[in-house]
Amino acid sequence: MIRFQARLVSAFVALALAPALPALGAAAPSDDEGAAPEKEEPKDRYLVVVGADIHTGKGEVLRDGRLLAKNGKIVAIGYDDFEVPGLDYDRDVPAEERGYELEIIDASNVPNGRVYPGMVAFSTSGLLGGGGDYRDSIDMFNRNMLLGLASGITTTGQSSSTAKLKRYVPNSAGRDYDFDGVVIGGKTLSTVSWGSAASKRSLREKLSGAAAYLRTYRQWQVDVKKDKELKEPSKSGVDSTMLSVLRGETLARFSADYQDDLSGIAKIAMEYGFRPVIAGCREGWVVADELGRAGAMAVLTPRTRRAKDEELMAAGGSSIENAAILHSHGVQIAIIPGSRGIDLGGIAGRDIMHLPIEVGFAIRGGLPEDAGLASVTTVPARLLGVSHRVGTLEVGKDCDLIVTDGDLLHYQTFVQYTVVDGDLVYDKQDELYFAHIRPRDDSLLAPLVPFDPAEVPIEEEESEGDSEEGETEDEDE
Amino acid sequence: MKKRTTHLLLFAGLMALQPTAQAGDLFAVQVERAETVSHGTIEHAVILIEGDKIVMIGEDLPIDSGIPVIDKDPGWVATPALVNPYSRMGLSSRGPSGLNPQRKVSGELYTGGISKSVLEAGVGTVGLYPAGTGIPGRAVAVRTWGSGDARILRDDVYMKAMMRSDSSSKKTWRKGFEEADEHKEKEAKNREKWEKDREKLEKDAKDKDDAEKANKAKEELKKPYVPLTPKPAAAAFMSLRDGELTALIGISKSSDYIHFLDALGEEDVQWSLHVPISRESDLFHVKGQETLKGRHVIMTPAFSYHPGTLRRRSMAAEFVEAGAHVAFVPTSDSTSAHESWLRDVGQLVRAGLDPHAALRGMTLNGAEVLRVDEHVGSLDEGKHANILFFDGDPFAATTNLEAVLMEGDFITGEVNR
Repeated sequence: MIRFQARLVSAFVALALAPALPALGAAAPSDDEGAAPEKEEPKDRYLVVVGADIHTGKGEVLRDGRLLAKNGKIVAIGYDDFEVPGLDYDRDVPAEERGYELEIIDASNVPNGRVYPGMVAFSTSGLLGGGGDYRDSIDMFNRNMLLGLASGITTTGQSSSTAKLKRYVPNSAGRDYDFDGVVIGGKTLSTVSWGSAASKRSLREKLSGAAAYLRTYRQWQVDVKKDKELKEPSKSGVDSTMLSVLRGETLARFSADYQDDLSGIAKIAMEYGFRPVIAGCREGWVVADELGRAGAMAVLTPRTRRAKDEELMAAGGSSIENAAILHSHGVQIAIIPGSRGIDLGGIAGRDIMHLPIEVGFAIRGGLPEDAGLASVTTVPARLLGVSHRVGTLEVGKDCDLIVTDGDLLHYQTFVQYTVVDGDLVYDKQDELYFAHIRPRDDSLLAPLVPFDPAEVPIEEEESEGDSEEGETEDEDE
Repeated sequence: MKKRTTHLLLFAGLMALQPTAQAGDLFAVQVERAETVSHGTIEHAVILIEGDKIVMIGEDLPIDSGIPVIDKDPGWVATPALVNPYSRMGLSSRGPSGLNPQRKVSGELYTGGISKSVLEAGVGTVGLYPAGTGIPGRAVAVRTWGSGDARILRDDVYMKAMMRSDSSSKKTWRKGFEEADEHKEKEAKNREKWEKDREKLEKDAKDKDDAEKANKAKEELKKPYVPLTPKPAAAAFMSLRDGELTALIGISKSSDYIHFLDALGEEDVQWSLHVPISRESDLFHVKGQETLKGRHVIMTPAFSYHPGTLRRRSMAAEFVEAGAHVAFVPTSDSTSAHESWLRDVGQLVRAGLDPHAALRGMTLNGAEVLRVDEHVGSLDEGKHANILFFDGDPFAATTNLEAVLMEGDFITGEVNR
């Protein structure tokens, strides 16, 4: 809380608590009812982010914008003053006597501060601890979860569900842990094998069986209106997975890298009218037009490198331009690093902590930056069936966001704050892991007297060339 | 001077009250310092022991000339004997899984005893916990000497429950309460039926036309209500609710604790925690929880590292500072771990743990977990004479355990009366 005290004087931080305050007044009379229950009504939770450029994830950038969340949902984004008479009143009232919880993230102490939607990792392992039903097995103190939050991930796909990285909030004012908020989505992907000739043949049979069933089913839907006695067609012998794919209930998820396989998947998808999700897709750039026409979605690892098969005359192998070419053909791109877990084997590694670096590689190959951001936010959210809640910063969506000290997709950028469901769950200066690297001004690790190069004679500056402050100048614009 | 007189009078009064006391089983020990644990440190303490009990303890108590006095070395420090509240010493490590709260460790006592080295290391009381997973049964508090049932200090001291971050442990815990609820409901119905029957019988008893029927009804009315016998699990969870039984929750990490609170819900039961201190323990996350203030937490005297780093943390010191009552157990059930127990806790003391909290953690807190604190765990009048004598600060590396007194008998140590 200390970090923004001094800065709160700025008038515009007169927060949007105006609508809240009458509500608090309304809540008070309930005390009059004789047998008041022991358990208090949970207080409204407000979170305010100020002092940074807000990248909503939909293309807009609000320079020095403001964002307000109430009870975990975004209620306002913009430049409006969120006029709240009474912040002065608020400052004099101790936190525990307030009728509401308030967290203010003042990012003006973050150099080049930017707000992004929290990243959505298509698939991870070990970030939630436990297994099976995460509601009853999540490890909310998990070190890997913290490191996931530190690298900007707020939502992750698991084997058959989608879950939030809901860390236990230490300053939750006695609030109980929100077990029911952990899992936010069920199974959206059906794994389909595409390998041997036999498996391809069997897939075609299953699809044609399911398609035939759907035709009879639709006919039955028409006929049953005339003849109510008519029985629903039997599902026996119909593959339920393919049925759910053709009905659009789940997405067919293939794993394929070679161009022959990719174009085969594109063909069968077009034939039966479903959009395939293809993990791997290394040679996708060779058959990008086919994949684009099939409406394919690709889960890529841009740093994968493999030489082409020299026995083939056609182009092949991995390409730095893969993501860019696929994107230009209309293939939606989700990006995931080579390793799904967290391994602390080194910096700029290939584990789940380095989503932005993986995306940066695709951008190096020509992928537009907005598509790069989408590849770790909206596209995976769509694949996981949770795009109505996460992936962008919009009014009504979950308040899952990160505050960074620069372009998210730049390799030097650090996540400074991470917010999940309106709770501040990670502050770089409060955790041991990265606090010592380019500490923020408000940190105990940072020098008490701010360093101003203009005030230092040139000779002295050279003699202090190896000091830590030298690094912070290295900003990327 | 006046204080001394009071003591004298008190002492005289005591002697008068107990005329059967023979010189043979009454003796006094004079030490430089006595750490009572329950009421602080007494300098120049005199402990008067009769039979197996401490009858008096105080500063510079005058001793009647007829009473043998042990005053070997002026540097001695007396502390209560140690209490290990969580052990499987001498017992098999195999046990059932699932919901078995009715099982008793006291039924296993015939299988093995405890090595004399443990007793000689100053451990007088041990809590033997039930082996197994889920809710494997109830612990028993025993003496570290003797055999069979004679060892038992108190049975049913706590019900052990393993709690992990998974659906099955939460289900097991909830199932216990559900069974208790079911029984309560059945019982209420049964009672209602009995009362209804009774009304009918009362009517019948007044029936003047049918004397035989009336007599029969009168006979029936004399019978008292017989409550239903609950299922074992239901019985255990009912007594848990009543406070007759306490629970010891075994967790391994912080999230287990939060899941336990979720499974516990609104139930009001008495419980303590058992936490193993692993190399990278994350338990500091929950140390500040309101529900842990004044709660007994059993742990091994060991350091751990902040996860993912090489920053050493002392969970014991952090929990004590946060207001929990830490009870220590040796690092394993081996005799060597018991022999090095004091040294292990001493390392925590050297790293900043309050020595009084440390000693309390090895004595009274364990006794409280085992609910035998009215007999052991501190140097108080009326408690068992389980006393250790050191030649200096108990936690100093150079200190020796000079003598061990258990229920009035010297187990080790050359003593001159």
